[in-house]
Amino acid sequence: MGVVHGDQMILNIGPQHPSTHGVLRLEVKTDGEIVSEVKPHIGYLHRCFEKHSENVTYEQVIPFTDRCDYLAAMNSNFGYVVAMEELMEIKVPERVDFIRVIMGELNRIASHLLALGVYGLDVGAFTPFLYMLRDRERILDMFEYTCGARLLYNYMWVGGVSHDLPKDFVKICGDFLDYFEPQISEYNELLTYNKIFIERTADVGVLPADVAVSFGVTGPNLRGSGVKWDVRKDEPYSIYDRFDFDVPTGTGEFGTVGDCFDRYWVRMLEVKESVKILRQALKDIPDGDVHQAIPKKIRPPKGSVYRRTESPRGDLGYYIISDGTPVASRVKMRSPAFTALSVLDEISRGWMISDVIAILGSLDIVLGEIDR
Amino acid sequence: MSKYFTNIYDTVSTLWTGMRITWRHMMNIKRDNVTLQYPEERWPRPERNIGFEHADYNVIRSRLHVDIDDCIGCLKCERACPVDCIKINTIKAPNRGEDIPEIKHTGVTSNDTRKAMVVSRFTIDMSECCYCNLCTYPCPEECIFMVGGPNNEKHNIDYEFSEFDRNDLIYQFAKSITSEQKDTLKNPIPEVEA
Repeated sequence: MGVVHGDQMILNIGPQHPSTHGVLRLEVKTDGEIVSEVKPHIGYLHRCFEKHSENVTYEQVIPFTDRCDYLAAMNSNFGYVVAMEELMEIKVPERVDFIRVIMGELNRIASHLLALGVYGLDVGAFTPFLYMLRDRERILDMFEYTCGARLLYNYMWVGGVSHDLPKDFVKICGDFLDYFEPQISEYNELLTYNKIFIERTADVGVLPADVAVSFGVTGPNLRGSGVKWDVRKDEPYSIYDRFDFDVPTGTGEFGTVGDCFDRYWVRMLEVKESVKILRQALKDIPDGDVHQAIPKKIRPPKGSVYRRTESPRGDLGYYIISDGTPVASRVKMRSPAFTALSVLDEISRGWMISDVIAILGSLDIVLGEIDR
Repeated sequence: MSKYFTNIYDTVSTLWTGMRITWRHMMNIKRDNVTLQYPEERWPRPERNIGFEHADYNVIRSRLHVDIDDCIGCLKCERACPVDCIKINTIKAPNRGEDIPEIKHTGVTSNDTRKAMVVSRFTIDMSECCYCNLCTYPCPEECIFMVGGPNNEKHNIDYEFSEFDRNDLIYQFAKSITSEQKDTLKNPIPEVEA
Protein backbone atom coordinates (compact mmCIF):
# COMPACT_ATOMS: atom_id res chain seq x y z
CA MET A 1 0.00 0.00 0.00
CA GLY A 2 1.50 3.29 -1.09
CA VAL A 3 0.53 6.73 0.08
CA VAL A 4 -2.97 7.58 -1.08
CA HIS A 5 -3.22 11.00 -2.70
CA GLY A 6 -6.67 12.47 -2.83
CA ASP A 7 -7.78 14.90 -5.47
CA GLN A 8 -6.39 18.38 -5.10
CA MET A 9 -8.90 21.11 -4.47
CA ILE A 10 -8.41 24.73 -5.41
CA LEU A 11 -9.70 27.14 -2.83
CA ASN A 12 -9.96 30.86 -3.38
CA ILE A 13 -9.37 33.09 -0.38
CA GLY A 14 -10.38 36.64 -1.14
CA PRO A 15 -10.43 39.14 -2.87
CA GLN A 16 -12.92 40.24 -0.23
CA HIS A 17 -11.83 38.47 2.89
CA PRO A 18 -10.99 40.09 6.22
CA SER A 19 -7.85 38.01 6.65
CA THR A 20 -6.24 39.06 3.39
CA HIS A 21 -5.75 42.62 4.71
CA GLY A 22 -7.02 44.30 1.59
CA VAL A 23 -8.02 43.11 -1.83
CA LEU A 24 -5.83 40.08 -2.37
CA ARG A 25 -6.84 36.74 -3.84
CA LEU A 26 -5.02 33.65 -2.72
CA GLU A 27 -5.40 30.63 -4.92
CA VAL A 28 -4.71 27.81 -2.51
CA LYS A 29 -4.20 24.24 -3.72
CA THR A 30 -5.17 21.93 -0.94
CA ASP A 31 -5.02 18.23 -0.30
CA GLY A 32 -7.61 17.79 2.36
CA GLU A 33 -6.64 20.58 4.68
CA ILE A 34 -2.94 20.50 3.86
CA VAL A 35 -1.82 23.34 1.64
CA SER A 36 0.42 22.32 -1.24
CA GLU A 37 0.62 25.61 -3.10
CA VAL A 38 -0.37 29.22 -2.52
CA LYS A 39 -0.59 31.53 -5.49
CA PRO A 40 -1.28 35.18 -4.64
CA HIS A 41 -3.13 37.16 -7.29
CA ILE A 42 -2.51 40.85 -6.94
CA GLY A 43 -3.44 43.96 -8.86
CA TYR A 44 -6.90 44.68 -7.46
CA LEU A 45 -5.68 47.94 -5.97
CA HIS A 46 -3.46 49.00 -8.86
CA ARG A 47 -3.67 52.78 -9.21
CA CYS A 48 -0.80 53.49 -11.60
CA PHE A 49 1.31 55.29 -9.03
CA GLU A 50 4.47 55.04 -11.09
CA LYS A 51 2.84 56.09 -14.35
CA HIS A 52 1.02 58.95 -12.64
CA SER A 53 4.32 60.17 -11.25
CA GLU A 54 5.63 60.64 -14.77
CA ASN A 55 2.80 63.06 -15.51
CA VAL A 56 2.66 65.30 -12.46
CA THR A 57 5.29 67.57 -10.96
CA TYR A 58 7.61 66.36 -8.22
CA GLU A 59 5.66 67.89 -5.36
CA GLN A 60 2.39 66.49 -6.67
CA VAL A 61 3.81 62.96 -6.35
CA ILE A 62 3.87 63.26 -2.56
CA PRO A 63 0.06 62.86 -2.09
CA PHE A 64 0.29 59.73 -4.23
CA THR A 65 3.05 58.25 -2.07
CA ASP A 66 0.67 58.67 0.87
CA ARG A 67 -1.79 56.42 -0.81
CA CYS A 68 0.69 53.63 -1.47
CA ASP A 69 1.36 52.67 2.11
CA TYR A 70 -1.70 54.16 3.71
CA LEU A 71 -0.93 52.74 7.15
CA ALA A 72 2.43 54.49 7.34
CA ALA A 73 2.00 57.44 5.02
CA MET A 74 4.56 59.54 6.89
CA ASN A 75 7.23 56.94 6.20
CA SER A 76 6.22 56.82 2.54
CA ASN A 77 6.59 60.59 2.33
CA PHE A 78 9.85 60.37 4.21
CA GLY A 79 11.44 58.01 1.70
CA TYR A 80 10.40 60.10 -1.26
CA VAL A 81 11.58 63.43 0.12
CA VAL A 82 14.88 61.98 1.30
CA ALA A 83 15.49 60.62 -2.20
CA MET A 84 14.52 63.95 -3.77
CA GLU A 85 16.79 65.90 -1.44
CA GLU A 86 19.68 63.61 -2.32
CA LEU A 87 19.00 64.22 -6.00
CA MET A 88 18.76 68.00 -5.58
CA GLU A 89 21.51 68.20 -2.94
CA ILE A 90 19.38 70.12 -0.47
CA LYS A 91 20.51 70.38 3.12
CA VAL A 92 17.45 70.65 5.31
CA PRO A 93 17.44 72.49 8.65
CA GLU A 94 18.03 70.40 11.73
CA ARG A 95 14.55 71.00 13.10
CA VAL A 96 13.03 69.53 9.95
CA ASP A 97 15.12 66.39 10.38
CA PHE A 98 13.96 66.05 13.97
CA ILE A 99 10.31 66.60 13.05
CA ARG A 100 10.58 63.99 10.33
CA VAL A 101 12.11 61.43 12.65
CA ILE A 102 9.43 62.12 15.27
CA MET A 103 6.65 61.76 12.73
CA GLY A 104 8.22 58.69 11.16
CA GLU A 105 8.61 56.91 14.46
CA LEU A 106 5.12 57.85 15.63
CA ASN A 107 3.76 56.44 12.42
CA ARG A 108 5.86 53.32 12.85
CA ILE A 109 4.24 52.80 16.24
CA ALA A 110 0.79 53.39 14.74
CA SER A 111 1.44 50.99 11.89
CA HIS A 112 2.88 48.28 14.13
CA LEU A 113 -0.02 48.66 16.55
CA LEU A 114 -2.44 47.99 13.73
CA ALA A 115 -0.33 45.08 12.48
CA LEU A 116 -0.14 43.50 15.93
CA GLY A 117 -3.80 44.07 16.72
CA VAL A 118 -4.99 42.72 13.40
CA TYR A 119 -2.68 39.75 13.79
CA GLY A 120 -4.41 38.98 17.06
CA LEU A 121 -7.69 39.27 15.21
CA ASP A 122 -6.46 36.84 12.54
CA VAL A 123 -5.67 34.13 15.04
CA GLY A 124 -8.80 34.72 17.07
CA ALA A 125 -8.09 37.28 19.80
CA PHE A 126 -10.43 40.23 19.54
CA THR A 127 -9.75 42.32 22.65
CA PRO A 128 -6.10 43.32 22.00
CA PHE A 129 -7.18 44.72 18.65
CA LEU A 130 -9.51 47.17 20.36
CA TYR A 131 -6.91 48.26 22.89
CA MET A 132 -4.26 48.76 20.25
CA LEU A 133 -6.55 50.73 17.99
CA ARG A 134 -7.51 52.92 20.92
CA ASP A 135 -3.86 53.92 21.36
CA ARG A 136 -3.29 54.22 17.62
CA GLU A 137 -6.16 56.69 17.59
CA ARG A 138 -4.23 58.95 19.96
CA ILE A 139 -1.28 58.99 17.57
CA LEU A 140 -3.60 59.89 14.70
CA ASP A 141 -5.00 62.71 16.84
CA MET A 142 -1.50 64.07 17.20
CA PHE A 143 -1.05 63.95 13.44
CA GLU A 144 -4.33 65.76 12.98
CA TYR A 145 -3.21 68.38 15.44
CA THR A 146 0.02 68.83 13.50
CA CYS A 147 -1.05 68.82 9.88
CA GLY A 148 -4.83 68.48 9.79
CA ALA A 149 -4.99 65.01 8.28
CA ARG A 150 -5.32 61.72 10.05
CA LEU A 151 -4.17 59.17 7.48
CA LEU A 152 -2.95 60.75 4.23
CA TYR A 153 -0.82 63.61 5.35
CA ASN A 154 1.16 65.17 2.51
CA TYR A 155 3.16 66.52 5.45
CA MET A 156 6.77 66.16 4.36
CA TRP A 157 7.83 68.33 1.49
CA VAL A 158 11.01 68.41 -0.49
CA GLY A 159 13.22 70.60 1.69
CA GLY A 160 10.96 70.85 4.69
CA VAL A 161 7.61 70.02 6.20
CA SER A 162 4.28 71.67 5.50
CA HIS A 163 3.59 72.99 9.00
CA ASP A 164 5.76 73.52 12.00
CA LEU A 165 4.97 71.48 15.09
CA PRO A 166 2.38 73.04 17.41
CA LYS A 167 3.91 74.82 20.35
CA ASP A 168 2.75 72.27 22.91
CA PHE A 169 3.46 69.22 20.74
CA VAL A 170 6.51 68.15 22.73
CA LYS A 171 4.43 68.04 25.88
CA ILE A 172 1.51 66.23 24.23
CA CYS A 173 3.82 63.66 22.68
CA GLY A 174 5.68 63.19 25.95
CA ASP A 175 2.39 62.64 27.78
CA PHE A 176 1.40 60.10 25.19
CA LEU A 177 4.68 58.21 25.57
CA ASP A 178 4.30 58.19 29.36
CA TYR A 179 0.84 56.75 28.92
CA PHE A 180 1.83 54.36 26.16
CA GLU A 181 4.89 52.62 27.61
CA PRO A 182 3.00 50.78 30.40
CA GLN A 183 0.40 49.76 27.83
CA ILE A 184 2.99 47.63 26.01
CA SER A 185 3.28 45.29 28.98
CA GLU A 186 -0.49 45.10 29.08
CA TYR A 187 -0.54 43.99 25.45
CA ASN A 188 2.07 41.39 26.29
CA GLU A 189 0.03 40.02 29.15
CA LEU A 190 -3.11 40.07 27.09
CA LEU A 191 -1.86 38.59 23.84
CA THR A 192 1.84 37.75 23.63
CA TYR A 193 2.10 35.35 26.55
CA ASN A 194 -1.29 33.84 25.95
CA LYS A 195 -0.87 30.10 25.56
CA ILE A 196 -3.41 29.83 22.76
CA PHE A 197 -1.71 32.59 20.81
CA ILE A 198 1.69 30.95 21.26
CA GLU A 199 0.34 27.61 20.10
CA ARG A 200 -1.12 29.22 17.01
CA THR A 201 2.06 31.08 16.05
CA ALA A 202 5.18 29.41 17.48
CA ASP A 203 6.90 26.98 15.09
CA VAL A 204 4.40 27.91 12.37
CA GLY A 205 5.57 29.21 8.99
CA VAL A 206 9.27 29.17 9.69
CA LEU A 207 11.14 31.55 7.39
CA PRO A 208 14.85 30.60 7.49
CA ALA A 209 17.31 33.43 7.18
CA ASP A 210 18.78 32.26 3.85
CA VAL A 211 15.34 31.97 2.26
CA ALA A 212 14.42 35.42 3.55
CA VAL A 213 17.59 36.95 2.13
CA SER A 214 17.25 35.22 -1.24
CA PHE A 215 13.67 36.43 -1.60
CA GLY A 216 14.67 39.97 -0.66
CA VAL A 217 12.45 40.06 2.40
CA THR A 218 13.24 43.06 4.57
CA GLY A 219 12.09 44.81 7.67
CA PRO A 220 10.61 43.05 10.69
CA ASN A 221 10.07 39.89 8.66
CA LEU A 222 13.80 39.62 7.96
CA ARG A 223 14.75 40.55 11.51
CA GLY A 224 12.33 37.93 12.77
CA SER A 225 14.52 35.39 11.00
CA GLY A 226 17.48 36.53 13.03
CA VAL A 227 19.21 38.76 10.48
CA LYS A 228 20.26 42.05 12.03
CA TRP A 229 19.55 44.43 9.19
CA ASP A 230 17.96 47.81 9.63
CA VAL A 231 18.46 50.63 7.17
CA ARG A 232 18.21 53.13 10.00
CA LYS A 233 21.29 51.55 11.56
CA ASP A 234 23.27 50.11 8.68
CA GLU A 235 22.78 52.82 6.10
CA PRO A 236 21.63 55.81 8.13
CA TYR A 237 19.59 58.46 6.40
CA SER A 238 18.33 61.75 7.82
CA ILE A 239 19.65 61.92 11.40
CA TYR A 240 19.09 58.35 12.51
CA ASP A 241 22.81 57.93 13.23
CA ARG A 242 22.45 60.26 16.22
CA PHE A 243 19.98 58.16 18.14
CA ASP A 244 20.76 55.28 20.39
CA PHE A 245 18.51 52.31 19.74
CA ASP A 246 18.76 48.57 19.31
CA VAL A 247 17.75 46.46 16.36
CA PRO A 248 15.67 43.63 17.81
CA THR A 249 15.93 40.26 16.10
CA GLY A 250 14.02 37.06 16.46
CA THR A 251 15.42 34.58 18.93
CA GLY A 252 12.91 31.77 18.68
CA GLU A 253 11.57 32.46 22.14
CA PHE A 254 8.85 29.82 22.04
CA GLY A 255 9.78 27.90 18.92
CA THR A 256 12.13 28.13 15.97
CA VAL A 257 13.90 31.28 14.84
CA GLY A 258 11.88 32.86 12.05
CA ASP A 259 8.44 31.56 12.95
CA CYS A 260 5.29 33.65 13.06
CA PHE A 261 5.75 34.40 16.72
CA ASP A 262 9.21 35.87 16.08
CA ARG A 263 7.90 38.19 13.41
CA TYR A 264 5.17 39.31 15.77
CA TRP A 265 7.56 39.69 18.68
CA VAL A 266 10.08 41.73 16.68
CA ARG A 267 7.33 44.23 15.92
CA MET A 268 6.44 44.50 19.58
CA LEU A 269 10.09 45.11 20.47
CA GLU A 270 10.40 47.65 17.67
CA VAL A 271 7.56 49.67 19.16
CA LYS A 272 9.63 49.91 22.33
CA GLU A 273 12.68 51.03 20.34
CA SER A 274 10.59 53.67 18.58
CA VAL A 275 9.51 55.02 21.96
CA LYS A 276 13.19 55.21 22.87
CA ILE A 277 14.02 57.18 19.70
CA LEU A 278 11.05 59.48 20.26
CA ARG A 279 12.15 60.34 23.78
CA GLN A 280 15.63 61.28 22.57
CA ALA A 281 14.27 63.28 19.65
CA LEU A 282 11.77 65.19 21.80
CA LYS A 283 14.53 66.06 24.23
CA ASP A 284 16.95 67.45 21.65
CA ILE A 285 14.62 69.12 19.14
CA PRO A 286 16.10 72.50 18.17
CA ASP A 287 14.29 75.64 17.09
CA GLY A 288 14.28 76.85 13.53
CA ASP A 289 12.31 77.65 10.43
CA VAL A 290 10.84 74.62 8.72
CA HIS A 291 10.18 76.38 5.41
CA GLN A 292 13.65 77.81 4.95
CA ALA A 293 15.13 75.15 2.63
CA ILE A 294 12.05 74.57 0.49
CA PRO A 295 13.03 75.34 -3.11
CA LYS A 296 10.86 77.78 -5.04
CA LYS A 297 10.75 75.53 -8.04
CA ILE A 298 11.56 71.87 -7.90
CA ARG A 299 13.66 71.22 -10.96
CA PRO A 300 16.34 68.66 -10.18
CA PRO A 301 19.43 68.35 -12.38
CA LYS A 302 19.72 65.50 -14.85
CA GLY A 303 20.52 62.28 -13.14
CA SER A 304 19.07 59.54 -11.04
CA VAL A 305 18.97 58.53 -7.41
CA TYR A 306 18.09 55.44 -5.47
CA ARG A 307 17.51 55.90 -1.78
CA ARG A 308 16.09 53.37 0.59
CA THR A 309 14.55 54.06 3.94
CA GLU A 310 13.17 51.90 6.68
CA SER A 311 9.40 51.95 6.59
CA PRO A 312 7.48 49.84 9.13
CA ARG A 313 7.37 47.09 6.52
CA GLY A 314 11.01 47.14 5.48
CA ASP A 315 13.29 48.71 2.89
CA LEU A 316 11.23 51.27 1.03
CA GLY A 317 13.27 52.41 -1.92
CA TYR A 318 12.61 55.16 -4.43
CA TYR A 319 14.41 55.25 -7.73
CA ILE A 320 13.93 58.62 -9.40
CA ILE A 321 15.24 59.52 -12.84
CA SER A 322 15.23 63.21 -13.66
CA ASP A 323 15.67 64.68 -17.11
CA GLY A 324 15.97 68.25 -15.90
CA THR A 325 12.29 69.15 -16.28
CA PRO A 326 9.80 69.73 -13.42
CA VAL A 327 8.27 66.33 -14.18
CA ALA A 328 10.02 63.09 -13.31
CA SER A 329 11.13 60.86 -16.13
CA ARG A 330 10.61 57.75 -14.02
CA VAL A 331 9.73 57.04 -10.42
CA LYS A 332 10.14 53.48 -9.22
CA MET A 333 9.09 52.39 -5.79
CA ARG A 334 10.61 49.31 -4.25
CA SER A 335 7.88 47.92 -2.10
CA PRO A 336 8.84 45.89 0.98
CA ALA A 337 5.40 44.30 1.27
CA PHE A 338 5.69 42.89 -2.25
CA THR A 339 8.73 40.80 -1.40
CA ALA A 340 7.09 39.75 1.85
CA LEU A 341 4.10 38.46 -0.08
CA SER A 342 6.30 36.64 -2.59
CA VAL A 343 7.73 34.47 0.16
CA LEU A 344 4.27 33.32 1.25
CA ASP A 345 4.16 30.34 -1.11
CA GLU A 346 7.55 29.11 0.06
CA ILE A 347 6.80 29.12 3.77
CA SER A 348 3.17 28.07 3.83
CA ARG A 349 3.51 24.76 1.95
CA GLY A 350 2.61 21.83 4.12
CA TRP A 351 0.67 23.85 6.66
CA MET A 352 -3.08 23.89 7.25
CA ILE A 353 -5.36 26.49 5.72
CA SER A 354 -5.83 28.22 9.06
CA ASP A 355 -2.04 28.45 9.38
CA VAL A 356 -1.85 30.19 6.01
CA ILE A 357 -3.98 32.94 7.52
CA ALA A 358 -1.64 33.15 10.49
CA ILE A 359 1.42 33.27 8.20
CA LEU A 360 -0.10 35.91 5.93
CA GLY A 361 -1.02 38.05 8.94
CA SER A 362 2.49 37.78 10.37
CA LEU A 363 3.99 39.13 7.13
CA ASP A 364 2.03 42.40 7.64
CA ILE A 365 1.37 43.29 4.03
CA VAL A 366 -0.35 46.43 2.77
CA LEU A 367 -2.00 45.89 -0.57
CA GLY A 368 -1.88 49.54 -1.53
CA GLU A 369 1.89 49.28 -1.56
CA ILE A 370 2.05 45.93 -3.35
CA ASP A 371 -0.17 46.98 -6.23
CA ARG A 372 0.81 50.69 -6.18
CA MET B 1 1.91 13.25 30.59
CA SER B 2 3.12 16.09 32.77
CA LYS B 3 3.40 18.25 29.60
CA TYR B 4 -0.28 17.66 28.97
CA PHE B 5 -1.23 19.05 32.37
CA THR B 6 1.30 21.88 32.14
CA ASN B 7 -0.29 22.94 28.87
CA ILE B 8 -3.74 22.96 30.42
CA TYR B 9 -2.44 24.90 33.40
CA ASP B 10 -0.68 27.45 31.16
CA THR B 11 -3.74 27.93 28.99
CA VAL B 12 -6.07 28.47 31.92
CA SER B 13 -3.68 30.78 33.77
CA THR B 14 -2.88 32.99 30.76
CA LEU B 15 -6.54 33.11 29.83
CA TRP B 16 -7.27 34.17 33.39
CA THR B 17 -4.63 36.93 33.14
CA GLY B 18 -6.27 38.20 29.99
CA MET B 19 -9.73 38.06 31.47
CA ARG B 20 -8.51 39.98 34.52
CA ILE B 21 -7.23 42.81 32.34
CA THR B 22 -10.49 42.92 30.42
CA TRP B 23 -12.43 42.89 33.67
CA ARG B 24 -10.34 45.72 35.08
CA HIS B 25 -11.12 47.85 32.03
CA MET B 26 -14.78 46.94 32.27
CA MET B 27 -14.92 48.09 35.87
CA ASN B 28 -13.27 51.40 34.93
CA ILE B 29 -15.81 52.00 32.21
CA LYS B 30 -16.22 55.67 33.14
CA ARG B 31 -12.52 56.36 32.78
CA ASP B 32 -11.61 54.02 29.94
CA ASN B 33 -14.61 54.55 27.73
CA VAL B 34 -13.35 55.93 24.44
CA THR B 35 -16.38 55.36 22.24
CA LEU B 36 -18.21 58.49 21.15
CA GLN B 37 -21.91 58.31 20.41
CA TYR B 38 -21.31 60.04 17.13
CA PRO B 39 -24.35 62.04 16.06
CA GLU B 40 -24.96 63.20 19.63
CA GLU B 41 -21.33 63.69 20.62
CA ARG B 42 -18.57 64.95 18.38
CA TRP B 43 -14.85 64.73 18.69
CA PRO B 44 -13.47 68.23 19.20
CA ARG B 45 -11.46 69.32 16.19
CA PRO B 46 -8.00 70.50 17.09
CA GLU B 47 -7.54 74.21 16.65
CA ARG B 48 -4.20 75.89 16.58
CA ASN B 49 -2.27 78.74 15.14
CA ILE B 50 0.24 77.54 12.59
CA GLY B 51 2.16 80.77 12.49
CA PHE B 52 0.87 82.42 9.30
CA GLU B 53 -0.27 86.01 9.58
CA HIS B 54 -3.93 85.14 9.76
CA ALA B 55 -5.02 84.90 13.33
CA ASP B 56 -6.83 81.64 14.03
CA TYR B 57 -5.57 79.86 10.98
CA ASN B 58 -6.70 76.34 11.67
CA VAL B 59 -4.97 73.30 10.33
CA ILE B 60 -7.81 71.28 9.00
CA ARG B 61 -8.55 69.22 5.93
CA SER B 62 -12.12 69.88 5.04
CA ARG B 63 -13.93 71.21 2.02
CA LEU B 64 -12.33 73.91 -0.05
CA HIS B 65 -13.61 77.44 -0.10
CA VAL B 66 -12.74 80.36 -2.33
CA ASP B 67 -13.24 84.02 -1.53
CA ILE B 68 -14.01 84.87 -5.12
CA ASP B 69 -13.79 88.64 -4.55
CA ASP B 70 -10.11 88.18 -3.74
CA CYS B 71 -9.36 85.82 -6.62
CA ILE B 72 -7.19 87.36 -9.35
CA GLY B 73 -7.44 84.38 -11.71
CA CYS B 74 -3.75 83.50 -11.69
CA LEU B 75 -4.50 79.76 -12.12
CA LYS B 76 -1.80 78.78 -9.64
CA CYS B 77 -4.16 76.55 -7.65
CA GLU B 78 -5.40 74.88 -10.82
CA ARG B 79 -1.84 73.99 -11.76
CA ALA B 80 -0.96 72.78 -8.27
CA CYS B 81 -3.84 70.31 -8.07
CA PRO B 82 -2.59 66.76 -8.64
CA VAL B 83 -6.04 65.42 -9.53
CA ASP B 84 -7.25 68.39 -11.62
CA CYS B 85 -10.42 68.99 -9.64
CA ILE B 86 -10.16 72.80 -9.87
CA LYS B 87 -11.25 74.38 -13.15
CA ILE B 88 -10.95 78.09 -13.81
CA ASN B 89 -11.84 80.16 -16.86
CA THR B 90 -10.92 83.80 -17.06
CA ILE B 91 -11.66 86.72 -19.36
CA LYS B 92 -9.36 89.68 -19.62
CA ALA B 93 -10.91 92.62 -17.86
CA PRO B 94 -11.40 95.72 -20.04
CA ASN B 95 -9.79 98.04 -17.50
CA ARG B 96 -7.41 96.73 -14.89
CA GLY B 97 -8.54 97.30 -11.32
CA GLU B 98 -11.97 98.73 -12.14
CA ASP B 99 -15.27 97.48 -10.84
CA ILE B 100 -17.80 96.09 -13.29
CA PRO B 101 -21.13 96.43 -11.47
CA GLU B 102 -23.18 94.49 -14.07
CA ILE B 103 -21.46 91.24 -13.17
CA LYS B 104 -20.65 92.26 -9.58
CA HIS B 105 -16.94 92.17 -10.36
CA THR B 106 -14.74 94.01 -7.89
CA GLY B 107 -11.57 95.47 -9.25
CA VAL B 108 -9.34 95.44 -6.19
CA THR B 109 -8.74 92.60 -3.75
CA SER B 110 -8.51 92.95 -0.01
CA ASN B 111 -4.69 92.92 -0.40
CA ASP B 112 -4.99 95.96 -2.73
CA THR B 113 -4.05 93.97 -5.81
CA ARG B 114 -5.64 95.32 -8.98
CA LYS B 115 -7.30 92.49 -10.83
CA ALA B 116 -6.57 92.05 -14.53
CA MET B 117 -8.92 89.12 -15.03
CA VAL B 118 -12.60 88.46 -14.62
CA VAL B 119 -13.13 84.94 -13.32
CA SER B 120 -16.01 83.57 -15.35
CA ARG B 121 -15.81 80.04 -14.04
CA PHE B 122 -14.36 78.64 -10.83
CA THR B 123 -15.50 75.14 -9.99
CA ILE B 124 -14.07 72.68 -7.52
CA ASP B 125 -15.22 69.09 -7.72
CA MET B 126 -15.05 68.02 -4.09
CA SER B 127 -15.75 64.42 -4.99
CA GLU B 128 -12.43 64.36 -6.84
CA CYS B 129 -10.49 66.32 -4.24
CA CYS B 130 -7.76 64.32 -2.48
CA TYR B 131 -7.44 66.79 0.42
CA CYS B 132 -3.72 67.22 -0.10
CA ASN B 133 -3.93 70.99 0.56
CA LEU B 134 -1.43 71.68 -2.24
CA CYS B 135 -3.68 74.31 -3.86
CA THR B 136 -3.83 76.53 -0.78
CA TYR B 137 -0.10 77.24 -0.51
CA PRO B 138 0.73 78.92 -3.84
CA CYS B 139 -2.26 81.32 -3.75
CA PRO B 140 -0.82 84.85 -3.70
CA GLU B 141 -4.02 86.35 -2.27
CA GLU B 142 -4.68 83.46 0.15
CA CYS B 143 -8.25 83.29 -1.03
CA ILE B 144 -8.49 79.51 -1.49
CA PHE B 145 -8.41 77.49 1.70
CA MET B 146 -9.83 74.48 3.39
CA VAL B 147 -12.82 75.68 5.41
CA GLY B 148 -11.45 76.64 8.78
CA GLY B 149 -8.57 78.46 7.19
CA PRO B 150 -8.39 82.25 7.08
CA ASN B 151 -11.62 84.14 7.78
CA ASN B 152 -12.56 81.44 10.15
CA GLU B 153 -15.52 83.29 11.62
CA LYS B 154 -17.35 83.41 8.34
CA HIS B 155 -17.32 79.67 7.69
CA ASN B 156 -18.25 76.84 9.94
CA ILE B 157 -15.77 74.01 9.98
CA ASP B 158 -17.73 71.19 8.48
CA TYR B 159 -16.75 67.68 7.63
CA GLU B 160 -20.20 66.34 6.93
CA PHE B 161 -20.97 67.42 3.40
CA SER B 162 -22.51 64.41 1.77
CA GLU B 163 -24.99 65.06 -1.01
CA PHE B 164 -27.64 62.97 -2.71
CA ASP B 165 -26.57 64.10 -6.17
CA ARG B 166 -22.97 63.88 -7.24
CA ASN B 167 -23.28 67.13 -9.17
CA ASP B 168 -24.03 68.98 -5.95
CA LEU B 169 -20.46 68.29 -4.89
CA ILE B 170 -19.16 70.44 -7.75
CA TYR B 171 -18.92 73.78 -6.04
CA GLN B 172 -19.35 76.91 -8.16
CA PHE B 173 -17.59 79.95 -6.82
CA ALA B 174 -17.57 82.35 -9.76
CA LYS B 175 -20.34 84.90 -10.03
CA SER B 176 -22.89 84.04 -12.64
CA ILE B 177 -22.19 85.72 -15.96
CA THR B 178 -24.58 85.40 -18.89
CA SER B 179 -23.21 84.59 -22.32
CA GLU B 180 -24.06 88.09 -23.63
CA GLN B 181 -22.13 89.66 -20.78
CA LYS B 182 -19.25 87.34 -21.63
CA ASP B 183 -19.34 88.47 -25.25
CA THR B 184 -19.30 92.12 -24.29
CA LEU B 185 -16.35 91.47 -21.99
CA LYS B 186 -14.46 89.67 -24.73
CA ASN B 187 -15.26 92.22 -27.46
CA PRO B 188 -15.72 95.51 -25.65
CA ILE B 189 -17.58 98.12 -27.69
CA PRO B 190 -14.99 100.77 -28.56
CA GLU B 191 -15.83 104.11 -27.08
CA VAL B 192 -16.63 106.70 -29.71
CA GLU B 193 -14.33 109.64 -29.41
CA ALA B 194 -16.12 112.96 -29.43
